[in-house]
Amino acid sequence: MRLVAETTDNDLDNAANDSPVKGARRTDEWSECITLIARNEDRAAFTRLFRHFAPLMKAFAHSGSTLSANHADELVQEVMLKVWQKAGAFDPSKAAASTWVYTIARNCRTDLYRRLNKFDTSLTAEDMGYEDETEETFLLLHQQRNRERIKALLGDLPNEQSQILVKVYMEGKSHSEVSAELDIPLGTVKSRVRLAIQKLQIQIER
Amino acid sequence: MANFHPETDLLTEYSAGSLPLAQAACISVHIQHCEHCQQLSNQLSEVGAALFDNLQPQAVGDELLNSVLARLDEEVPLSYAKPEGDGSSTPAILQRLISGDFSDLSWKKLGSALRISYIRTGDPKHEFALYHIKAGGRIPEHTHRGTEMTLVLEGGFSDADGTYHKGDFIFRRPEDVHAPTAVQSEDCICLAVLDAPLKFTGWKFRWMNPFLRLKAA
Repeated sequence: MRLVAETTDNDLDNAANDSPVKGARRTDEWSECITLIARNEDRAAFTRLFRHFAPLMKAFAHSGSTLSANHADELVQEVMLKVWQKAGAFDPSKAAASTWVYTIARNCRTDLYRRLNKFDTSLTAEDMGYEDETEETFLLLHQQRNRERIKALLGDLPNEQSQILVKVYMEGKSHSEVSAELDIPLGTVKSRVRLAIQKLQIQIER
Repeated sequence: MANFHPETDLLTEYSAGSLPLAQAACISVHIQHCEHCQQLSNQLSEVGAALFDNLQPQAVGDELLNSVLARLDEEVPLSYAKPEGDGSSTPAILQRLISGDFSDLSWKKLGSALRISYIRTGDPKHEFALYHIKAGGRIPEHTHRGTEMTLVLEGGFSDADGTYHKGDFIFRRPEDVHAPTAVQSEDCICLAVLDAPLKFTGWKFRWMNPFLRLKAA
């Protein structure tokens, strides 16, 4: 474990020094907040976290969506409340704070959509997740590197590829919905997604 | 260890949370036990996290902060409890959808080798069903009017493209024709998610086509 912590710090330093990867330091601040919430039910830390993430969640809720202002506010409240309640489950060695918060926001939004569309189901978006049991140091290290690399490469994607990623991830649209909306063949949507994923160098570590 | 996995574009939709409920459930059963797809999916989630970080923040008033602060002492809902595998071979997410195990389900006989049990997920556009094929049994040759996800839960089957075992995930598109045959050594149980009814191509079963309906819900 100690090895991870040390190398992580080094990585963050490097990232901050030799590339304009923004947020490398900040990420640490948010992990600290979540840890403080888990340990001491620290409301000041929660308030700091809220001021940073709630405006992003509101933007997320409004991304190309049909959510009313009320529902968007409801989503922000619900996500922040979950962040508070689930802080104890956050493991900074496994996930960056912003990835963890994003995952909660994504799941809550999916569930809200389904509620609004009157889905009668016992399954939540969280049920569809998986227990990430990665313990191996080298894999955790890779995850950290992957995160920085994806962030850095994302800006270099051609517009036609990043546009589709935004629709799929931020607007929560399936490939066929994107194909209908942009009036391009489904195959083209899929190949642009694949190209983008390749350019982000997303692959299995061995 | 699975040999057949969802393709990257499907995993991307899964990681973005943009897949329909029944399809997401099917992939999640595969991924639960597939380290390969977990690693990919971890990275694909980082794409979402990075895009999220890049969003243009929208002002949030203090009233909202105050109403969340006022709710922090609420009881944590019990439903947060994770669906835990209880050691049985039934995947956790299926345990949420059915009571008891596979033998307690109501199975519909279709021919001599095949039994089907339809499971309600709440997804209005996808049929979510378990297929039980007797060892060595063959499903009549058919094509698809839509897409079909198949996940092998027990045993195995083969078609012209390969042999699939426990944990393997297969995705068929419209017009793909196949006639799956269960392995000889044991019965095969698969999970199948359809967005349109099958279409039988052999003369013996073709008469059924007009009567096939998607059993979604």
